[in-house]
Amino acid sequence: MSDRKPVSTSVAVKLENVTQRFRVIHERPDTLREIFARLFRSEAGFHDFDAVKNVSLEVPKGQMLGLVGRNGSGKSTLLKIIAGVYRPTIGTVSVQGSIAPLIELGAGFHIELTGRENIVLSGLLMGYSKREMLEREQSIIEFADIGDFIDAPVKQYSSGMHTRLAFAIATEVDPKVLIIDEILSVGDAGFQRKSFERIENFRRAGKTILFVSHSIAQVITHCDRAVLLEHGSVVADGSPTEVAEVYNGLLAMPTPVAQ
Amino acid sequence: MRELIAETYRYRELIWALTAKELKVRYKRSVLGFLWALLNPALMMVVLTLVFSTIMKFPIPHYSIFLLSVLLPWTFFSQSLSYAVDSIVGNGELIKKVAVPKLVFPIAALGSNIVNLLLSMIPLAILVPLMGHPFYKTWLYLPIPMVALIIFTAGMTFFFAAANVYYRDVAHIVQILLSAWFYFTPIIYALDFIPAQYQWIFKLNPMIYMVNGFRLAVYYGVLPKWPSIAMSFASAFGMLFIGFSVFRKFQDDFVFYV
Repeated sequence: MSDRKPVSTSVAVKLENVTQRFRVIHERPDTLREIFARLFRSEAGFHDFDAVKNVSLEVPKGQMLGLVGRNGSGKSTLLKIIAGVYRPTIGTVSVQGSIAPLIELGAGFHIELTGRENIVLSGLLMGYSKREMLEREQSIIEFADIGDFIDAPVKQYSSGMHTRLAFAIATEVDPKVLIIDEILSVGDAGFQRKSFERIENFRRAGKTILFVSHSIAQVITHCDRAVLLEHGSVVADGSPTEVAEVYNGLLAMPTPVAQ
Repeated sequence: MRELIAETYRYRELIWALTAKELKVRYKRSVLGFLWALLNPALMMVVLTLVFSTIMKFPIPHYSIFLLSVLLPWTFFSQSLSYAVDSIVGNGELIKKVAVPKLVFPIAALGSNIVNLLLSMIPLAILVPLMGHPFYKTWLYLPIPMVALIIFTAGMTFFFAAANVYYRDVAHIVQILLSAWFYFTPIIYALDFIPAQYQWIFKLNPMIYMVNGFRLAVYYGVLPKWPSIAMSFASAFGMLFIGFSVFRKFQDDFVFYV
């Protein structure tokens, strides 16, 4: 977590020459026993794979950026680098302020605990204090709109309830940077309306939003700017309509194999 | 080292929440719930007392107290290690999704076992007067060997939790190691039972210094000598330094192997 120094006040997220290299080892021994067995055999082969190749990107504060790309383009890897889950092999990442990664927030839920307990737990995972979470607990519960289930173990939730709760938590904690994906399509019309309203409020409040989507239409509707990734590199960066054209061109070509 | 303390403090609420969750989940499904923390060592004590006091007739008065005074800290050590060795791998899904300092996982595993250790002291405290054994003032000394033991255990858990990420059979190896170590440490027996010429081998075992303080304080009612205390803290901090250095070196890499 030490490469993430704050940058100048107008930039929310900055990536400089970021490369994420995975070494794919053919049959890596994962028990000590296998190592002994291998002492008498030749080295297993490996190859390096760059999921993200030398990406430099600056996201000004208050921008809503749409990140698009086909499967295997490096989108999720890039997001994980920004969220601090991965430390890049080369390059630096700087994020000004707190991040709420909605997409994976539900992963932090412990299924044996209740929704209410998970509100606090999710907040703690993001680095907030228990007091802060308890202050916001009521508004989170109201927004998520899952009724009495808030006091039932999360394992009983439908996937929709799961998402609504995660979204409520992620947006209520007032992060500087919000990362969301198209799972916003979950929930009834009322919830979707509330969600987009909340996102608009975020924008007006000058927060930065990274919106990942396969739906270029949603990106055109909501985003100020779009970035298209292909094979780990940025191939288009600009207004959503322009990027959409490049994207559509790409879609006509065969899909890369996700490694 | 400063980083360890700083990050632990910063994330103390999360660690506590994970500890509480661990304790809750561990006992939620069982009928006896929290009582298991007390029952486990109690059962072990009954069996071992039966064997070594009644059947094999060790010449040790109040054998169950002699035994329990060291068995409880040992149980803390072995349980902590067993739980923590899998703490990174077991939380793999979470680590792959949310950026969280990795050290919270082994520390939380440690935390729930610290609670168990403290709780298990209660039946011991009840047993002492029950058996007519003097309740020494030296019980007040106990926090000191406890701290040393916790630090030592923390170092070991960091090391093995990291190792287990790369080599999944480390968890099994730890179990085997603990079994052997159990017999190598004077838990069931007293060090005097070992012939003098071999005692030096046993004295290489750092656990002796860790648990010695417990037995001396509870059973004998005396304090350990300074060299012994010094050795216990030296081993404790040494282990912590080694364990955490290894952990720290590889922690950013874990996410790619879980």
